[in-house]
Amino acid sequence: MAAPTAAPPATRAVAGAHRRSRPLGHERRRAAYLMLAPGMLHLAWWIGVPTVATFVLAFTRYDILAGTMAWAGLDNFVAIFRDPVWWTAVWNTVVYTFFTVPVAMAIAVVIAVLLNTNLRARAWYRTAVFMPHITATVAIALVWMWMFEPNIGLFNWVLSWFGVRGPAWTSDPAWAMTSVILMSVWKGIGLKMVIYLAALQGIPHDLYEAAEIDGAGPVRRFFAVTLPLLGPATFFVLVVSLIESFQVFEQFYVLTPEGGPAGSTTVMTYEIYKSAFQRFDMSVASAQSVVLFVFLLVLTIVGRRFTGRDDVA
Amino acid sequence: MSPEGTSAPVAPPVPSGPGPGRLGGAPRPGRILLHAVLVALSLAMVAPFVWMVLTSLKSHAEVMSYPPTVLPSVWQWVNYPDALGFAPFGTYFRNSMVIAVSHTAINVALAAMAGYALARLPFRGRTPALVFVLAAMMIPTFTKIVPQYLLAKTMPFFGGNDFLGRGGSGWLDSWWALIVPGAVTPLAIFLFRQFYLSLPRELEEAARLDGLGEFGIFARVMTPLMKPAIATVALITFENSWNNFVWPLIVTRTDQLRVIQVGLAAFQQTERTLWEYLMAGTVLATVPMIVLFLFTQRYFVQGFATAGIK
Repeated sequence: MAAPTAAPPATRAVAGAHRRSRPLGHERRRAAYLMLAPGMLHLAWWIGVPTVATFVLAFTRYDILAGTMAWAGLDNFVAIFRDPVWWTAVWNTVVYTFFTVPVAMAIAVVIAVLLNTNLRARAWYRTAVFMPHITATVAIALVWMWMFEPNIGLFNWVLSWFGVRGPAWTSDPAWAMTSVILMSVWKGIGLKMVIYLAALQGIPHDLYEAAEIDGAGPVRRFFAVTLPLLGPATFFVLVVSLIESFQVFEQFYVLTPEGGPAGSTTVMTYEIYKSAFQRFDMSVASAQSVVLFVFLLVLTIVGRRFTGRDDVA
Repeated sequence: MSPEGTSAPVAPPVPSGPGPGRLGGAPRPGRILLHAVLVALSLAMVAPFVWMVLTSLKSHAEVMSYPPTVLPSVWQWVNYPDALGFAPFGTYFRNSMVIAVSHTAINVALAAMAGYALARLPFRGRTPALVFVLAAMMIPTFTKIVPQYLLAKTMPFFGGNDFLGRGGSGWLDSWWALIVPGAVTPLAIFLFRQFYLSLPRELEEAARLDGLGEFGIFARVMTPLMKPAIATVALITFENSWNNFVWPLIVTRTDQLRVIQVGLAAFQQTERTLWEYLMAGTVLATVPMIVLFLFTQRYFVQGFATAGIK
């Protein structure tokens, strides 16, 4: 291979093993840069630049038609904090997250524990639970919209067997949010279940045997052994779910269009979409995106603190 | 822990069964109850898909009648050709397919190279590069979508734009905007890095002694060992691309370039009662993923486990 070209810093190499890879250093560095370049440049241009640009745009007044930009200080933030619709959107996002994430997580962990036995047909159950996760949210939301249909839909028909007159679901301001939450819980269980299942398989079996010998029943074992050892997985599921939940868009867009009946189900992402792509006010949309980002950042940090404690026993 | 000492001396001391933890010998009635619960749950998860297919095969009169029928009285297979004739679902389907296949091919090629470099090649700036990929993975869609749209709109020399990107529509309403911005994902780079890390160093060194260059080692020695990893990344990329909605929604205006998810949403907003055609459309939008998933699920699960548990 190539002659030793990199001479001066060779003195830093202490062990003999390092010296062997020296002559390779140059060629490998060059290969690394060439192989990284396309992917990294793409990420830099389509993720790095836009992320920074969002934070810049939020402090400017950008006119998309004229293409002019002027410094605006905190004007955009003042504008959105004075906008009652934005506050409704923030509140709705929090409510949606508060009900969707814990419910779906609780169901997911229970299913994962049930499936973590050597059952016959285990793979079939897992497939059924995971399937909603891999299908398109928009398509599946349209199916739910059809099931929610107030007069001839599946849900109200089933409810009528029990003598219950079902609500108008997505078009009733009191039920629209519930409708979206129901669908999202259904769709969210699968991924969480799979992550829990993978984590459960990493729990050493002798811990259960020890607990059993100490006289712990299945429920006690679940709370004393399984749940504490699922700490890291729970943190991961929680953070991923919160981040995903705060960015929910498609269910709301399809099931409760235009911010829902009487604006009852507008969420932060829908307001950003409206500002940017219906009113073409990119500066306000960026300010709203920054607020959403700050929410997500805080959630990530708090989540880490909160579950980090149970982490390593 | 000491409990092994108390157990019978038949079994070896370390229970080395890595398989699904068997929680003792559950009693028979418990097993039956467990299956009953799981069957009920599975049915609840699958019910919307079943209802979608059944509705897509009923006549319009039957769909609009109350109480609903469970099975179609006449199986209206003709709904599918009729729906394709009524709305351009065929075009939407083709567009989604073109985009998803392009994304998958580009992402696998470019992310594999980047992931390999991050995993196996020493170079200055490797740690910052990895941190950048991880950070990019965590940037939410809505934190970058406005400038992404502006970057596409102001692409110089495209769509009537001048060299500063002014005056025209740039990449909007074009295949460029649909394909290029989402073609490489940080998740794919990260997954490839994790997979390449797990290959033994000896292989690389043996190939080097045989006189292969760095790119040859990557392309001819290491990557052929990674077929399951490639399948995983390809499937996840295909899924995300096929199911993507917001970006195609904002960058397309014309029917010719709509993807199936956007086309379906638009169809529902104009044709509010043609549920059987809408359900036929949603079958077209979901069945490719379902079929793909049923045949390849271990790769999917492997991908989520790698991304999740590390």
